[in-house]
Amino acid sequence: MRKPWLKRLAHASEPWLYSAPSLILIIAVMLVPLVVGISYAFRDIQLLNPFSGGFIGIEHFRDLAKDAAFYTALKNTLWWTGASVILQFFFGLFLALLLDKPFWGRGLVQALVFLPWAVPSFLAGLNWAWLFNPVIGPIPHWLFALGLMDQPGNILSDPRHAMWGPIVANVWWGIPFFAITLLAALQAIPRDLYEAASIDGANWFQRFRSITLPFLAPTIAITVLLRTVWISNFADLIVVMTGGGPADRTQIVASYIFTQAFKRLDFGYASAIALVLLVLLLVYSMLIILLRQTLLNKD
Amino acid sequence: MASIQIEKLEKSYGHVSVLHGVDLDIADGEFIVLVGPSGCGKSTLLRMIAGLEDVSSGEIRIAGNRVNDLHPKDRDIAMVFQSYALYPHMTVAQNMSYSLRLRNIAKDTIGSAVAAAASKLGLDPLLERRPKALSGGQRQRVAMGRAIVRQPKAFLFDEPLSNLDARLREQMRAEIKKMHGDLKATSIYVTHDQIEAMTLADRIVAMHGGVVQQIGSPLELYDRPANLFVAGFIGSPGMNFLAATYAGGSVRLADGTLVALETVPALADGESVTLGIRPEHVVIANDGSGMRAAVELVEPTGFGIILHLSLHGLPFKIFTLDREALNSGKEIGVRFPAQYLHLFGTDEQRIA
Repeated sequence: MRKPWLKRLAHASEPWLYSAPSLILIIAVMLVPLVVGISYAFRDIQLLNPFSGGFIGIEHFRDLAKDAAFYTALKNTLWWTGASVILQFFFGLFLALLLDKPFWGRGLVQALVFLPWAVPSFLAGLNWAWLFNPVIGPIPHWLFALGLMDQPGNILSDPRHAMWGPIVANVWWGIPFFAITLLAALQAIPRDLYEAASIDGANWFQRFRSITLPFLAPTIAITVLLRTVWISNFADLIVVMTGGGPADRTQIVASYIFTQAFKRLDFGYASAIALVLLVLLLVYSMLIILLRQTLLNKD
Repeated sequence: MASIQIEKLEKSYGHVSVLHGVDLDIADGEFIVLVGPSGCGKSTLLRMIAGLEDVSSGEIRIAGNRVNDLHPKDRDIAMVFQSYALYPHMTVAQNMSYSLRLRNIAKDTIGSAVAAAASKLGLDPLLERRPKALSGGQRQRVAMGRAIVRQPKAFLFDEPLSNLDARLREQMRAEIKKMHGDLKATSIYVTHDQIEAMTLADRIVAMHGGVVQQIGSPLELYDRPANLFVAGFIGSPGMNFLAATYAGGSVRLADGTLVALETVPALADGESVTLGIRPEHVVIANDGSGMRAAVELVEPTGFGIILHLSLHGLPFKIFTLDREALNSGKEIGVRFPAQYLHLFGTDEQRIA
């Protein structure tokens, strides 16, 4: 009787034993911090206050609902994400279409295009901050010479236009992602489809609309989704270039979390904001996935 | 429909020349097959007519108009691709109507053109399907439907049947022939399959190494091949070639046997020639006469029998309908009827 019982146990536990290493790793590295982080959102945790740490329920969320800076950050996040993704996408698509055409030295250019992606984000931020700085950077002087600026000032300290600084840096930094993924998708399109279409009488734009776009659509959907989530979470450039200033004009939710957590050292409140951002992004992703499913089912 | 003239057409990629001056006159309504082994330039020639490849030098005229510098879309031709090249995100009906929609033709005209082509090709029940829901043969039909809806000046076919299985290929071959009979459309068809070439063509253009080897009706190419290449390429199993020397109205084979010729060619005694004879024309001599050949392999095909022999130590083939050949021993006698002999000179050109 004992042997079959042991055997049954061994059989039942076999798959768990095989997957245990990765499961333990995932739980320890991902789930535990996530749960701890979520629990912070319902506790009063301030690094500078040794008596903090108690459970306070939804107190943080009540504060958040009344926090004008949070709403500004939410609006800025939309603006920052929207402008960055749209510009990155269109420049990336344009670049991919150019790189899809054979020309002398294409291999080298393709490698160079990938370069911004390889620059650490905070280095890119510092570089662009210097480029926008009229004391050492050329950009304000160029804009002034073109008549786009009254005087060669620093765009990053101009409350009305400060957001454009990080957006420009982000676009420069993010184009390669779109260019490379879209180029890969472009090169997977069979060439004879274009030949058939040109014999059928399609001009460049008609071929683009009826062959290139339908073939790129799934890639576009998934890359835009991914980039939107990444960029709305991406505070590096803003923290490095403006620190959310001037007067919170470039503060996005992610940089606001950073400010709350590491400048004010209020981990509880920062966790509450992070939880709200997480929920918003989950809702967004679900909507996109639903949209994709309905589009795919239509076929 | 239109005639097509090709004059001194050349194509080179950088320093690599792939077509060396092709001349071809295609009459209105003619079915021309370009045939040759891979890399002979036949597809390049077709793609140049379509406008998918630039012309390096020479001239292409469709219906009398020079089209060298016209875009494919302005040449008014239709092409069927080996891979079918159907638009995967369009239905069969949309695939077939695409060219007409691009020309802003009235909806009901398009509808009737598509319906007519679909019924001709038996595609009616499939019109709302996408290409990926079709079988290979059905896709092939859609590709042909896409070509015929707009009644172009000429049809170009680039190995359209090579992705189909043997049975379907036979069936589609017959359908293409029937369709050409109905439409009387000028057609240029590229293939490496000589059966397709023989069965479909009004005239065959045999190509090799970027040079046209012979232009003629299928039977001309079979009966009187212009050179060694055409002789070896047309016919299956391929023609047998034997090295020989001319000797006053006959040729002397390597072992000294004299083979009589039907006519007396203008050759000097002792000149070396190549003697060719098709496997189906060799006569097996059961009475002990003829040249002795060792039997190496017997291949029954059902319809006939292919005997692989060794004649004077060289490979030699016979195709016969006589079932007795299955029982041939280690050695048989063969005779070459004079009227079936082909004679080629040292320049590989036909002598007689």
